[in-house]
Amino acid sequence: MSVPLYHVLVLAAVMFAMGLACVVAWRANVIMMLIGIEIMLNAVMLVFVGGSAHWGIADGQLFALMLMALTSAEVSLALAMVVYLHRRKHSVNTDHFDSMRG
Amino acid sequence: MQTYLSLMLLFPLVGGLASALLGRKLPRVLVEGIACAAVWGSFACAALAAAAYAAPETVTVAGWFASFDLDIPISLYLDPLSLSLAVMIGFVCGLIHIYAVFYMRSEEDYPRFFALLNIFVFAMLTLVLAESLPLLYLGWEGVGFCSYLLIGFWYTDKNNADAGRKAFITTRIGDTALMVALAWLFQLFGTLSVSKLNGMGFLMPGSIITALGILFLVAAMGKSAQVPLMVWLPDAMAGPTPVSAMIHAATMVTAGVYLLARMFPLIGGSATVLSAIAVTGGVTAFYGATCALAQRDLKRVLAFSTISQIGYMMLGVGAGAVTAATFHLLVHAFFKALLFLGAGCVITAMHHEQDIFKMGGLRRSLPLTFWNFLAGAACLAGLPLTGGFFSKDSILMAVWHKGGALYQFLYLLALATALITAYYAFRMVYLVFGGPGGDGHLQSGSELKVMQLVLIPLALLGLFGGLFNLPAYIGEGYLNRLFAGVAGGAPGGGSHLEEIVMQAIAGALALAGLLAAYLRYGKGRAQRLEEAGSQPSLLGSFLAHGWYFDNLYNLILIRPYRALAAVLWQRLDEGVIDDSLDRLAHALGRTGSWLGRWSTGRVSIYLISFAAGGGVILGYLAWLAL
Repeated sequence: MSVPLYHVLVLAAVMFAMGLACVVAWRANVIMMLIGIEIMLNAVMLVFVGGSAHWGIADGQLFALMLMALTSAEVSLALAMVVYLHRRKHSVNTDHFDSMRG
Repeated sequence: MQTYLSLMLLFPLVGGLASALLGRKLPRVLVEGIACAAVWGSFACAALAAAAYAAPETVTVAGWFASFDLDIPISLYLDPLSLSLAVMIGFVCGLIHIYAVFYMRSEEDYPRFFALLNIFVFAMLTLVLAESLPLLYLGWEGVGFCSYLLIGFWYTDKNNADAGRKAFITTRIGDTALMVALAWLFQLFGTLSVSKLNGMGFLMPGSIITALGILFLVAAMGKSAQVPLMVWLPDAMAGPTPVSAMIHAATMVTAGVYLLARMFPLIGGSATVLSAIAVTGGVTAFYGATCALAQRDLKRVLAFSTISQIGYMMLGVGAGAVTAATFHLLVHAFFKALLFLGAGCVITAMHHEQDIFKMGGLRRSLPLTFWNFLAGAACLAGLPLTGGFFSKDSILMAVWHKGGALYQFLYLLALATALITAYYAFRMVYLVFGGPGGDGHLQSGSELKVMQLVLIPLALLGLFGGLFNLPAYIGEGYLNRLFAGVAGGAPGGGSHLEEIVMQAIAGALALAGLLAAYLRYGKGRAQRLEEAGSQPSLLGSFLAHGWYFDNLYNLILIRPYRALAAVLWQRLDEGVIDDSLDRLAHALGRTGSWLGRWSTGRVSIYLISFAAGGGVILGYLAWLAL
């Protein structure tokens, strides 16, 4: 049996909305924001895999694998930057880093 | 022949490059030796070429441009005209180089000087030997460029640098005319070879030939310092004296006459062009002579005399007598180099004093210079039996035989000029060498001795230059025979008696000028010196300032140009272009900083905006789907 594409898409949309809500809700904490972004990325990967299964083409799965590699690299960088930011201002609240104000 | 001609050009070029590139590394004696050896080597090649010369010859050295229908090889053309000039250039420049070695003994920057001097010779020889007009033009620009650098040789003094610029810019006006003529000739005939063009003049209607001739005349006016483009030559005295001697005698100013003589078969077909050339020459001869009357600076007297003598040559070309013009060109080269080098000796001895009213009595302290200078002045004045007498007379003869009211008027003008010439030449001699004094503190040294020795061969050539082309009643002229095959080279008609009468008139006028100079500056010397201290008369200052041509050009050309430049600079460039760009940049900057207020720098606000934007797009899509 196979899960219909429609269901997969609904699940992905729900996951994406949850990830976004996480990012928006914990915007005072950069680590929580990163977690939210990961969830959103996973939602995207789920869409790729679902699409790939639906049409029987491997491209989507390949892309999901590439996204995994990409996110692992991104997270390692992002965590390093979080450590750095924390060292500078003893804070992980993004609103404290507003030197890009116009 | 090819070897001779190529080496004739290569020697000065290599010498110049060697001095320019290695001059600072080599010992001074070597640099000076290379410079002199290069020019004398070139002269030796010219002499060998003259010995081997049988008939006009074209030698192709190498290819240059070849694309579509444009084919310009580097080819050299040897005919009587270029041959006689090349020999003269090699010889006179060789002597001037030797002189320069001693004249510039105390100069620190000698490699630059000798490099430029050699390249100057190279450029002039290229001009003279060129078979195609582009190659000639290359030499033409080469002499202009070298003269610019050499006139402004002592460039740290602003006046000298300005004089160099003036010479360059003024001659540039003529160069432009030459460039236009070249382009037009190629469009008309499809070739730029001199010998081919000279045989094709009949193909074109007279009006086009006239226009081309006028363009060539304008080019010659610039280079040969003819009215109205003569203002640069008196100022060119700013350069070292050997440079003045080169510019006035062998290189540079004779180039214009040479160009007209070279293109004579083409442009000589138009009577209008010939008249224009003759009028230019006649007026310039008169102008130069009158201005020389009132000069106080020794070198400026000589400068105006050059303008005047070149005017004679132009008059000769205008009368269709290329032989006579070339004859005068050669003899003039000898005696003008002699006069300039003699003046250099005088100036060196006088501790760089150039005012002739402050000199005097030098015949006792500088006897060798005196006798040589006297020979030069006699040639310039055209005293009977000197070289200048015969050459000037052959031009006068040609003008007379040309006939017609215009040429008869020009003949009278030229006679009057001859009288004035004799007068100012001996005015100079009497003021510099005559009178008491002269035994005071003169600079002397071994340099001066050698410099004086260089004058002797030039003086001999000037005095006996008449032997090159004796009048028909004495014997057959050498140049006449040589030039027999050249268009415009045939000697003018006229009986021997007529020729003798005309020479007698010219000789008498020259002697009259000498007598007048003697009465006024020989006997009345003390009175003249007294007058010189007071305010000059109206006519005197009119002549001394070269008929105020500089002021005229200042009024009608330079001041309007400066005013226009000021308007364009302050109103147009700064006012319109710069200002509008400044305003635009300012406005963009302000817009940017106003828009920049939208960016708060707070990530949370961006995130919410992002989410809200995404929500709006989704809502829109959902609304579309439903």
